[in-house]
Amino acid sequence: MKLRNLITWMACVVVLAGCKTDDEFDGPSLNDLYGAFSIVTPLETSADTVDFSAGETVNFTAAFSKNVSWKLEIKGLQSGAVKEITGFSNLLDANNALWTGTTTKLPFFKVEDCAVQLTFEAESDTLSDTLFVSGTRTYPGLLLGDFEGTANPGWTSFVQSGADMSFGIQTNSAGAAQGNGYFDIGGAVDWDYLIAYLYMPATAYGAPTFNLSSNPEEVYFNTLLFKPESLNNGIMLFQFPEDDNGDGVFTAANEDMYAIEVQMNQNNWSQLSVKYSELQSLVNGQPAAPNGNGVREPNKLTQVNILFLANPASGYANARLDYMIFTEGEALQP
Amino acid sequence: MRITTKTIALLLAAGLFQTLQAQDDKKISFTGAARGLYYGDKLTQDSSEPDTVTAPKLNSGHVMVDLGVNIRPNKNTEILGMVRVRNDYGGFWGSGVTFDVRQLYVKGVIGGIFKYQLGDFNYRMSRYTFWNYDQEVISQQPTIFRQQTDVINYEHFYDNDNSRRQQGASLGFALVFKKFVKELQVNAVTTRVRASDFAQTDDRLFSGFNMQLVQSKYLNLGFNYANLYDVSGTSKNNVGLRNPVMTGTIQAVYGFKNYEAKLDGEFGKSRTFYQNSTTAPDWNGKFLDFNLKLSQTKWGVHLSGNAIQIGSAFRSPGAQTKRIDFSQQALAYTRITNNQELRPFTMLDLMRESSFYVMQLRPYLMEFAPKYDNITPFGDATPNRQGMIVRLRYEKKSSPITAEFAHYALQEMRGEGTLNPRKFSRNQLQAEVKVNEYFKNWKKRFNVSVSYRSDQTTREGEELVRGVDLKTNVLSTGFELEVLPSFDLMFGLQQIAYQGFDYTAVRNNFSEIFNFNEYEVDGEETMLAYGARYRFSEKTFISAQISRFNTQNKLSTLPAYDLNQFMLLFQMKF
Repeated sequence: MKLRNLITWMACVVVLAGCKTDDEFDGPSLNDLYGAFSIVTPLETSADTVDFSAGETVNFTAAFSKNVSWKLEIKGLQSGAVKEITGFSNLLDANNALWTGTTTKLPFFKVEDCAVQLTFEAESDTLSDTLFVSGTRTYPGLLLGDFEGTANPGWTSFVQSGADMSFGIQTNSAGAAQGNGYFDIGGAVDWDYLIAYLYMPATAYGAPTFNLSSNPEEVYFNTLLFKPESLNNGIMLFQFPEDDNGDGVFTAANEDMYAIEVQMNQNNWSQLSVKYSELQSLVNGQPAAPNGNGVREPNKLTQVNILFLANPASGYANARLDYMIFTEGEALQP
Repeated sequence: MRITTKTIALLLAAGLFQTLQAQDDKKISFTGAARGLYYGDKLTQDSSEPDTVTAPKLNSGHVMVDLGVNIRPNKNTEILGMVRVRNDYGGFWGSGVTFDVRQLYVKGVIGGIFKYQLGDFNYRMSRYTFWNYDQEVISQQPTIFRQQTDVINYEHFYDNDNSRRQQGASLGFALVFKKFVKELQVNAVTTRVRASDFAQTDDRLFSGFNMQLVQSKYLNLGFNYANLYDVSGTSKNNVGLRNPVMTGTIQAVYGFKNYEAKLDGEFGKSRTFYQNSTTAPDWNGKFLDFNLKLSQTKWGVHLSGNAIQIGSAFRSPGAQTKRIDFSQQALAYTRITNNQELRPFTMLDLMRESSFYVMQLRPYLMEFAPKYDNITPFGDATPNRQGMIVRLRYEKKSSPITAEFAHYALQEMRGEGTLNPRKFSRNQLQAEVKVNEYFKNWKKRFNVSVSYRSDQTTREGEELVRGVDLKTNVLSTGFELEVLPSFDLMFGLQQIAYQGFDYTAVRNNFSEIFNFNEYEVDGEETMLAYGARYRFSEKTFISAQISRFNTQNKLSTLPAYDLNQFMLLFQMKF
């Protein structure tokens, strides 16, 4: 009797140990490693025209015989802007190939035709398509200047009387990072570091301080900067004076002024985004103790100062500015 | 259940007591071994272009003595210190002589209850927690080949009980009960697997705990806990391995008349993770292994069936660390041909090359050679296996013949690189015959052995992925014939043939598969040997043998080659 029970019990164990296999596998797919590559479904766009300013998006679809590393490149035929989307999959769809109008390589996209190209890391195949952008993306935030049209009358400025001086908004669609205009600063000043400055007071935007969050971890200062390839001597200094005591006036002797200094050594357009909490109090380019309460308070910011500097012995210097904006929560996603 | 005053007894130390008492009058004794080994090799390549670069003949060998002093300062303590003096042939006047400490330990009994051992010792737990499985291919060879394998095993403390040599401390005691439960055995061990470098490498320890409850002669229950872990704070590295394994065991026996049924099972789980690491995996694995054996004792027939299920994430370094490190390269004839190509290892190298063998636990799945064993490369604890094993054995005290047939029908629990699992099939036949026992007046030994193993791994191909079909056949046969008193003639033949294709997993340091290599073989290895042995005693002999080894791999750029070997071995244990 006991033996029979033992055998029955053992039989149950055998049944339980029946050969059921997992519905997933270990390691990379053999098909991906050793299978042949082929295009199952060609590249297609979900729309021929997209208006990002209206909140529209566009996605791309394609299917392959195996998982591969792929790169989707969308290039603005007028602006030269480039958006890249990469992935490793056997399928392109709205989950991994969605475009919301952002840019990977500056400048920004314009209203223009775009060429779409899909390439693969280990395969020679290339798939192409076209797309028309009828409206460009809008960016949430406090826009200080996109330098389209004329300058804000509330801005103040100073320009040294040096040689070959340039200072002001230029309209040139091929030279702008966004839209058709940008702010150009240049010249040769052989007696001073300062070439010119542009002050953007909060009053120019209708209030004694900028309408920003009081949390410096949430606020980002963003701008696009351009440096000609032949020049490496420009220094862009951004200053952020605060009205600590709320008397409506910034007093340098006893109130905070934070800053960031950028050595202009990156060719062509690049993006500068800095979190407000990472700004430093600077004296002659070196960190120093702030003169006020020592608390970074974006909501007490009275003005943004843009100073273009260069070593007086270095000769002519030039830079461009475009699309200056405060964003909250994250840096500008171009 | 009540423990009486007399029932607390040291059962595990009983053997030690007996030994100590028997030898109580000798406080110091000597133990050890001596060996003289010589190899004379000659390489012959089957190539139209003569190899003018590789020296075809090679002589090597050594003489060594392991001398141990066994000190028993009192009846409860034993101390052993063993030194090795070794001289490779060619070293004269001390120039090639090495002195090493081979082993050191102290063991004894505390208070007549606790058995302890400190220093070097062999330790074993269950088959899925701490078990040193035999090496591939060469474990079931005829005597003439086993002589070389025994040298390797002795060098690495590989005992027949599948224990592992460790360095640390162990403790054990047992409780005997009056009612319901017969006995409770408790053992614990901690050993040091790796020493800290005080910079980036932590101390690594292995700890084990085993509790065995002997309810009666019919039922035996066990609990095992094993853990390989890094000790935080012993280096500046804050990432530390943790690999605990917990298992339960059951043994139930029931017999009536000439029949006996025995259930033997082990089941458990493991977890493998690296503390403070965000990149390392955190694996939880499970397994179960139940064996039911039915015996007809009068006829000597035993039929058993195993049901196993071992998860792909089951990791137990104590059971899965292999003896052979297949990432090593043979030292003899490392490169051959005029192009000095690397010579892949063969079964001859596995028999001779001590450098292939490891003793310390590895926290990852080691490389293995699918051409030798693609089904159980990590022994019974090979992860990612499920299925049945059936054995039919004939063994009877009064019969001079012992034979066993085993059939494995296994498959992966989880596919590798595909949802399709590999399927494994093994048929294995072993037989040993003491021929002289068939004749009344033939007292001299005449043992014949034969074994044959046929393995096959298959997996159906997919539209774009090649199917798997790898076959391995291993044939071993031999005899030892005593022609004069204590003088034996020996013969042995072993052949391994392998052919087919598989993908081998490439794993990272965490044993995660990140790639697969295509693995294709078509070749065979044959070793034929004959020789003579004179036995001075059961523990001392001298043996001379000549063997011819041949290998060819049709897919290799290396030519087929022969390796003729002369071996002279003197071995003594005392």
